[in-house]
Amino acid sequence: MNALTATRRQFLRRSGLGFGSAALATLLEESPLACASGLLPKPHHAPKANRVIYLHMIGAPSHLDLFDHKPELKKRDGQECPEELLKGRRFAFIGGKLTLAGSPFKFAKHGKSGLELSELLPNLATVADHLALVKTVHTEEINHAPAQMFLRTGFGRGGRPAFGSWVAYGLGSESQNLPTYVVLLSGPLGGAGTALWGSGFLPSVYQGVQFRTTGDAVLHLGNPPGQSPEDRHRILDAIKRLNEEQLDAVGDPEIATRISQYELAFKMQTSVPDLMDISKEPKEVLESYGAQPGKGSFANNCLLARRLVERGARVVELYDADWDHHGAIATRLPAKCKDVDRGAAALIKDLKRLGMLDDTLVV
Amino acid sequence: MSDKAPDAYEKVVDRLLASPQFGVKWARPWLDAARYADSHGFQRDDLRDLWAYRDWVVSALNADIPFDRFTIEQLAGDLLPNATQAQKIATGFNRSAPTNVEAGSDPEDTRVNQVFDRVNTLSTVWLGSTLECAQCHDHKYDPFSQKDYYRLFAFFNSTAIEADRANPKVPGSIKFLGPVMELNDPAADVARMKLQVELATVTKKLAARAEELHAPDAVWESATRKAVADSPREHLLEVTRFDSSGGATHEVLKDGSVLLSGDPPDKDTYTVTAKTNLVGIRGFKLEALTDSSLPGKGPGRGDAVRPNFVLNTFAVTVSKPDGKPSVVKLKAAKADFSQANMPVAGAIDADPKTAWAINPQFGKPHWAVFGTDAPLGFDGGAVFTFTLVQDYGGGRTIGRLRLSALTGGTDTAIPSKVSDALAVAAEKRTAAQQKAVLDYRQSQDAESTRLHAEQRRLEAGLVQVPTVKTLVMQELLAPRPTTVFKRGDFRAPGERVEPGTPGALHAFDPKAERNRLGLAKWLVSKDNPLTARVTVNRLWAELFGAGLVTTPEDFGAKGEPPTHPELLDWLACELQEPTPQAPLPEGKGEKSPAWSVKHLLRTIVLSSIYRQSARLTPDLRAKDPENRLLARGPRFRLDAEAIRDNALSIAGLLSPKLGGPPVRPPQPEGLWVKVGGERYDYVVSAGEDKYRRGLYVVWKRGAPYPGFVAFDGPARVACRVARPRTNTPLQALTLLNDPVYVEAALSFAKRVVTEKPDATTDDRIAHAFRLAVAREPGAKEVAVLKALFDAERDAMARTPAAAKQLVKDFAAPAKVPPAEFAAWYAVCVALLNLDETITKG
Repeated sequence: MNALTATRRQFLRRSGLGFGSAALATLLEESPLACASGLLPKPHHAPKANRVIYLHMIGAPSHLDLFDHKPELKKRDGQECPEELLKGRRFAFIGGKLTLAGSPFKFAKHGKSGLELSELLPNLATVADHLALVKTVHTEEINHAPAQMFLRTGFGRGGRPAFGSWVAYGLGSESQNLPTYVVLLSGPLGGAGTALWGSGFLPSVYQGVQFRTTGDAVLHLGNPPGQSPEDRHRILDAIKRLNEEQLDAVGDPEIATRISQYELAFKMQTSVPDLMDISKEPKEVLESYGAQPGKGSFANNCLLARRLVERGARVVELYDADWDHHGAIATRLPAKCKDVDRGAAALIKDLKRLGMLDDTLVV
Repeated sequence: MSDKAPDAYEKVVDRLLASPQFGVKWARPWLDAARYADSHGFQRDDLRDLWAYRDWVVSALNADIPFDRFTIEQLAGDLLPNATQAQKIATGFNRSAPTNVEAGSDPEDTRVNQVFDRVNTLSTVWLGSTLECAQCHDHKYDPFSQKDYYRLFAFFNSTAIEADRANPKVPGSIKFLGPVMELNDPAADVARMKLQVELATVTKKLAARAEELHAPDAVWESATRKAVADSPREHLLEVTRFDSSGGATHEVLKDGSVLLSGDPPDKDTYTVTAKTNLVGIRGFKLEALTDSSLPGKGPGRGDAVRPNFVLNTFAVTVSKPDGKPSVVKLKAAKADFSQANMPVAGAIDADPKTAWAINPQFGKPHWAVFGTDAPLGFDGGAVFTFTLVQDYGGGRTIGRLRLSALTGGTDTAIPSKVSDALAVAAEKRTAAQQKAVLDYRQSQDAESTRLHAEQRRLEAGLVQVPTVKTLVMQELLAPRPTTVFKRGDFRAPGERVEPGTPGALHAFDPKAERNRLGLAKWLVSKDNPLTARVTVNRLWAELFGAGLVTTPEDFGAKGEPPTHPELLDWLACELQEPTPQAPLPEGKGEKSPAWSVKHLLRTIVLSSIYRQSARLTPDLRAKDPENRLLARGPRFRLDAEAIRDNALSIAGLLSPKLGGPPVRPPQPEGLWVKVGGERYDYVVSAGEDKYRRGLYVVWKRGAPYPGFVAFDGPARVACRVARPRTNTPLQALTLLNDPVYVEAALSFAKRVVTEKPDATTDDRIAHAFRLAVAREPGAKEVAVLKALFDAERDAMARTPAAAKQLVKDFAAPAKVPPAEFAAWYAVCVALLNLDETITKG
């Protein structure tokens, strides 16, 4: 865009339609008009976070049993629910006689801040002073999928860009050989599915890239059987030379972009398997996360998240399945907490150790 | 071009316009706008048939149905006088709106959202306006009031609901509904008729036999009464409490069975409590029943194709009321049917892995009986708690179950309602008791049993006769009143409004119908300043990569003004009413009809502006990088479907077949895994269907074909009138490594060597080059490919195992040495990956 003729309208339009060019960060750095136009006034605090790791428990863990201690509720455990709590409310699945359920788990204060946490999260308790609990989040969506969409896109239905897409779009890429926005899964994907990291009306280049935990991490990453890296290199070399011929003849800059994207694809063929191979991590690191090379576990994904942000990913989202516990809180919740508590705490400690916690948000 | 005649270019254009593939190409952008897909979207995302609408679009474009009729039939075909089947199919345009059938969703919310979607789509497609802004408040930039919005809403507010609770009391029981039309298929009609006639005969015979059996038969009655006295009896247990660990909702039906609903959890454990005053209980009967609300009728909940259940553990405890429960020891399990590797005994043994299941006897009720060690029951009543553990996963849980206690033994019991009825004198029995006796007598009667089996066979046959169905619009007899929704919230109705069009636009013809038909006519009225411009702009964008208005979705104050307003206006008039001196399509001597899309496309592609070279000089690049001023011809990447079509065509694989159900090309495994709704195995289409054009590839909103997603194919969850055009490394990986493109490269290589059997390597390279990019290669280009060919042939000759592995199951030409074929493969991969191959211009 020619900065001298840029109007606010054009700026918004081009950002919206994209064509893969106008990343906010680049514009802010490059355009002398960006600040003068008052387009994006600076926030009242200095922005610190450069990347986000987001841990999503599919099915919604019971906050009353983990983060939100309710002693009064515990006292009234088993009593009938007072009428005034129910009046005028609509519930998706609850019917018949309603009783109050206090948490069967013990809470204690941790760290200097005295953060109250349930006994189910002993490892997370050791990093209590690095945690801030937000207890005011609320949605009117009564179902998993729309509520997830609301949480991730700000809107209960499809069609809007995911949080990570906005970050990728706004902050741009730090990595030369990996995607900016990566999604990792442990267990089957429930709820709203892949729409949770869709780019909505932003160009698809900003959508999250799901790295699979078995087989190729990225679709079609491996060469077809029988084609060696040398063969591939020769083919890519020919493609490059022919594309350069075409660039000379036609002059379309898209051809130059394509040439560089083929180079990135080639780099990803080695960088992604290298990223996913955690077997070379020191034993004590693997131990701290509870990670085991070759497994598709949440612990492994926590470690991969750290490796990804180290390599320049902006947004890493971890989705863990099977948190929709209903009547099985007593048995399933402790088991699931065991799956995630250690890895999540280790991730925070590890980022701190590497000096990355200051500018990495873990949500 | 080999044709050197001065009108050679025109002839090619006319040939392409007349090709049946014309409709396939031009249906793609229209189906993006129509948000056409093969699944209903949201979490459930089940498939449903709407492809007849997709085929209607293709044939309408091929027939060059005038755009005004094209509009009217899609928006209101059902309201035309004596509407034809095709006109009703066309209304599938608006049935493409995504439908939310997630358990617990509010049907009215879903319905209102679908109407919003219809209004917004109409406004984008025909008015090029962001009318959706006026859903919550007056439009901030364009002259549309919130009231205008809801007046348009009123036109669409009177069709049947499309998702509702199957059972009004159970919020989880949302079902996909809405008007469905069966399409004519003479062959299927004949087959169906024949079965129906046979079925009628059998049913008549059964009724006659029932009449005979209904006649009092003292001998049979006394014998049966004696049998009752000696035999075990069933007593239905009344369920007092039911819990599902997976959070499934349930309802106790009149017959005492428990019907589950909601999204089936992966695994589930039911806890069922029942009280009874019976004593001398010798066993329990568990029935797993079918129900029309279950996928494939059940009895399992997991999916419609294999509605199995896997019962890992069936356990019972007994207690006096308020007493302590003790475990009941069960033995001698038997069932009407057990799956080969999952016998019913597995449900009561100590091993939680063994279980009772019923594959392949789906869609039928089943029962199991478990004996007790000692007679159970207390005077003053007993409480039984049954635990049904179903841990297999995949929703293999029972969808409808009923529990009975058995007294007298566990042999096949005479149902209690029969024995109760027999205790009453024949002439004093109630209608229900008479029926119970007759049903039992029939079940014991060989002739009736045979006729019943025959009846079931014919019914199953009828279900199997394929019926083609499609979703259509249908007006309710009594229109729904419409109000403004305050802040766009359907729970906050405001002022009442009647159907009407925005005041800032041309007037609604007072003689026209105040329904969708009138609305459609209003859209294509000559007085409408928008429809023709917006349409022409979209067609232009499809040809040039960008419209004369670069915001095809917004012609309003926030949109970009046209770069060539006079041209846009002239083209819009040309679409509505072609000038007589304009070139005539397909060489016919008459004036082109009004609203002819083919005429307009022909006019544009014959223009000198379209036929310019796409070459971008440094000067042009500096002055007009985005080609807004059209000083050069269009050059842009092909769309997702066209990239695959093009590669298959170069490879000689592409099937030109038109129409029919969606096809499934190969894709990586596991992409269709989802929670809730029906489960589908992704089975790759057989034969030529694997190589059909991209338009026919199944469009599943939750998991669109990944080869298209990589090239900006949308999920089709909402109307889109432009696709972004990204340039990413994932596109490179797709073209290089996706098995679809690997196979295309192998076939391309085969084509090159078999079509030029005796040619030199250079000639073959030139041939391949022409096939890929439709021009002669330059000397340098041949040299690059020759070098690649030589290097690969040498490398592959050194590693014969790799060459063999590369070709694998592919039928490579026998006469060509493997190393040489592998080298041709490399050349073909390079050609299929060229920027020029996937770019127009």
